[in-house]
Parts: sequence; structure tokens; C-alpha cells
Amino acid sequence: MEDERLRKVSSLQSFVSRPELGSVFGLAIIVVTFMSLTTVSGTFSAMWTNPIGIQAWVELAAFVGILAIGASLLMIAGEFDLSMGANIALAGHSFALLLTFGVPVLPAILITFIELAFLGFIMGTIVVRTGLPSFIVTLGFWFASRGFAVFLSQTLVNQSRLSVKPYLKPPAGGGEDPTLIDNIFAFDKAFGLPFDAEVYYFAILVIITAFMLHRTRFGNWIYASGGDAQAARAVGVPVNRVKISLFMISTCLACLLGVLTVMTSGASDPKAGDFRELHAIAAAVIGGCALMGGYGSVIGAVLGAFIFAIASRGINFVPFIDNNLFRVMLGMMVLGAALLNQFLRNRVLRG
Amino acid sequence: MTPTIQLNGVSKFFGNIIALKDISFEAHKGEVTALLGDNGAGKSTLIKCLSGVHAPDEGEIIIEGKPVKFSSPRQAAAAGIGTVYQDLALQPLMSVSRNFFLGREINKGLFLDLDKMSEITRREMAKLGIDVADPNQPIGTLSGGQRQTLAISRAIYFGAKVLILDEPTSALGQKQQLEVLRTINEVRNRKDIAIIFITHNDLHARLIGDRFTFLNRGRILANGNREAIDTDNLRSLMAGGAELAELEAELKN
Repeated sequence: MEDERLRKVSSLQSFVSRPELGSVFGLAIIVVTFMSLTTVSGTFSAMWTNPIGIQAWVELAAFVGILAIGASLLMIAGEFDLSMGANIALAGHSFALLLTFGVPVLPAILITFIELAFLGFIMGTIVVRTGLPSFIVTLGFWFASRGFAVFLSQTLVNQSRLSVKPYLKPPAGGGEDPTLIDNIFAFDKAFGLPFDAEVYYFAILVIITAFMLHRTRFGNWIYASGGDAQAARAVGVPVNRVKISLFMISTCLACLLGVLTVMTSGASDPKAGDFRELHAIAAAVIGGCALMGGYGSVIGAVLGAFIFAIASRGINFVPFIDNNLFRVMLGMMVLGAALLNQFLRNRVLRG
Repeated sequence: MTPTIQLNGVSKFFGNIIALKDISFEAHKGEVTALLGDNGAGKSTLIKCLSGVHAPDEGEIIIEGKPVKFSSPRQAAAAGIGTVYQDLALQPLMSVSRNFFLGREINKGLFLDLDKMSEITRREMAKLGIDVADPNQPIGTLSGGQRQTLAISRAIYFGAKVLILDEPTSALGQKQQLEVLRTINEVRNRKDIAIIFITHNDLHARLIGDRFTFLNRGRILANGNREAIDTDNLRSLMAGGAELAELEAELKN
């Protein structure tokens, strides 16, 4: 019977079976690479010690990372949301329109979140009820969300870019100060903090979702829904409800970014969040999420977002490498990471 | 003695197809009732009726003397029916203890009580003779037989009075098949659980069975205990009795 028993596993082996392992190495490689490259081109301090240089990649990592949280949770549950980037524009426009129509800032934020949560509910319901691949369903909404956002703003106010500056700045005569809400919700570097608001939201959301995923019942159900939905249903896991909630989380994360972008830039932009869904999915894949579900982690996706952001911004600090090569590099990184992660995952399955 | 579970004339129709007709048998605690039949005999439909997936169209299911009607697998589970399906309903990438408690997790405040879950998993698996060194290991590290044991001990821990095992030995290698039979024996020795062992392997049925029920084309072909059915008879029924005689005749010509 001895050989039938479980082997004792060293802590090194346990570490190897963590989904984030590949992205830990990936991040180390990318940091060392760009530190060397910037040293060669004499821009090391501009990227790594200058506050503006650091802001550039940290804020991008936060933006992509917030979406990547949603992307990784959905991917672990075996689903995709391609409409995330478009939903950023939809949320931004909706929020800006509400302000234009005289709705105060806080209720406008609330209404926008309810709208986007409802959109996530609709998408999730279509996916679980029809059994269509979420790739197709959310591709439909990828077109629809952005189209609807532009349609709304053009028909209602005859503009595709809505400035909200007048509604966020305090009226000259004093009175109720709308910037108070602006400052609470979007920070706007108001409290002397070094980064944009999304960096702090990102940090908080990562902690909450990582705990949720690994230490709560709901997190367990997310893994089970993506691992083997039939088996999960057999032991009473409400797979459909889990998936619908995750689509709602995904659209709400896009909503957060949409609203923040409008508040910090002072305008809603129909191109806001373009391609960001793909960047977020790339971050999740680099971070070790399995495309078929059941495996992955939020922390991995976070590391993936940092890899993406450092490579994306870092290329600007290295003048002797063509900017277009960045996309080539990113593509190869996604492929390489997917291969590495597949190899690691098979090790887990084999034990 | 009142049987733990008893079926009286259970029938199930799908449109004009008679999947089960007039099925009656009983299972007692501390005994293994072997349910034998070839592919298409109606074993799967019968399991689904027992575990609350289908409601029977005729007849009744009686648990400990009380007639029951299930409208969902959850109700059947609450009434003490523990079904271990062939695919085991396990998550290959999740840990042993998380699989054990999936859908019925133990919380401490907001968060999972992982220590307690690991401890119970280890204890319950040990009761069936498997020593799980680290319940946090992914289930991919367990052998097929150990996974069966996990699914069985999970069903028992969550209150199964009737344990339905759907072809537990069919997808396994020789050595692991014996391991599963040993586990079934451990469960029988507890004396408080009625085991319904579904199989088409007459050797395994003979090894472990106390009572035998033969299904063929949705009907009961024979019912009996160990003494009533001698092994030759058992084998001939397994192969479908009359059909085997027919084939024998054909081969002689």
C-alpha cells in the first residue's frame, strides 16, 4: 500500500504548482531587461526613479490591472468578457450624459454603476441560458456597447466627446461644492497622493478579490465552475449564479474605470478603453489563468498587468528599439507565457 | 427488519420508450446490494430515479419505511441518498479538502476554515483506509481508487444512509479495482449504511455482494441473496441468460 499513498511534498514543489509562478519569472525578466536597456540608453533614472516616469507605468498597470482582475476571475470560471474596453466608453458616456442633464455627481455615479451591473447581468444570463460561448456573446456587446455610447451622445447632445468640466468644477458663487465628491471618488491627486485614483482602487480591489478567490466559498465556486461545471452542479454549486455575478463584476470594473477617466480627464471619450479588453486578457494569460477555466489567480493577473505596463511604457524610454517592435514582443510574451503555464499546469495534474 | 431503501414497482417512461418497468428491490444497512445489468439495461435511469434526477412515473420509493418523492437531487441527498457517479463529480485542479467540501464549505466568519476542512478530510479518508498526507494537494496527485474513496467518504460524511455507487470499478486498473472493493467492504463493516453497487462485472459482484438484482431491458430479471443464486447462475444471468443460450446454439452449428 505504501506506493499508493500520497507523496510528501516539499515546499519547493508546492511553490512550483502555484499558478502565478510563470509570471513571477516573467516580471523579473522584464524588469531586468528594461533596467539594462534604459541603463544603456541613459534613461534609467527617467523610468525607474523619476516620479513622472514611475507614474507612467504604475498608472497603466493599475488601469489594465483593474480590468485584468475581472478578466482573470471570469477566465477561472471558464468565461470571457471581450466587451470590457467598450464598456469603459459606455460607462463614461452614460456618466457624462447624466451630468449634462443636471444629475448631481454622486447619483450619476450610482446610476451608471447600476446600468453597467445590469448590462453584466444581461450578458451573463445570455451566456448561461443559451449555452453560447461567452466569446461570441461578449463580442456582440463589444460592438454594441461602444456603438450605443456614441449613438446616445450624438443623438442626445449632438457631440461624440462630452466635456464635463463645468459640472465638476465648483460654481463661482460657492454653494454646494461638487469637487468634494470629485475628490472623494476620483482623488484627482487632491490629497497630495503621488498616483491617480485608479492605483489605489487597484490595490484595494486586488486585496479584496485575492482573499475572495482563495479564502471564501464564492472563490471556491469560481474555480469549480470553470474546472468542471457539471461536477460542480452535482455537489450543489450554483454555477449559473456564480457566472452571472462574475459578468456583473466585470462590467462594474469597466464602469469604475469609465467614471474615473471622465472625472480625471474632464471629458468622456468614445475611444476610451479601446483594446484594453485584449490587454487585460493578455495580462490574465501571462499571469497563469487557463483559457479553459479552473486554474489561475488574481495575483498572477496583477503581475501580468505590470509586465504589460513596464514593457509598454518602457519601450518609450529605449529610443534605439522601434515602438512597433513592442507589439511583436507582447505577442511573443503572451505565447511564451501560455506555453510555460500549460507546462506548469500539466505538472499539477500529474502530481 | 425494515429495509433502508425499498422500491415498489417503479417504472419510468420517456415518451413511448419504457426505460424501467415494474422495478422492485430492497437494500439493507450493512449489506451490499449488487445491481447487475448490461449496457442499456436501465441502470443509469434507475440511479437517476433513486438520486432525485428523475421522478418515477409509477411505483414508490420507500426509505426506512416512509414513502418519499424527490423533485431534485438536493432533496434526495437530504433524505440520505448519497450517489457517487462514475465521473465522481470531482475537480481535478482543486485540492483534496476543497473537493471534499465543495458546495458545503465550512466557514469561520467570512472566510473558509481551511484547517478544519483539511483535518476532517484527513480523518474521514483514514476511516476508509487511505492516508492523505497533505489534503491541500491537488486531486490530480491521487490514484483513481483514491479518488473513488474520496467521493465515497464525502457522501458518507454528508449523511448518506444509502450509498449508490455507479460502476465504481469500471474505469480503473486491476489493482485499483481491488482497492475500491476494499473501500466498499470498509463501508459495509460500519453496519449503518446500505450500499447499492452498480456494476456489469460479475466477479466483483460475487466478491462483495450480499444481495443481487439483475436488470435486463428495463425489467428485473432476477432478485436474490447470496444463497439463492449460485455463481454459475449469476454468470449466465449477467450475460443475459437466454441470449447466451442462443449464442451457444449458434456457435455449435
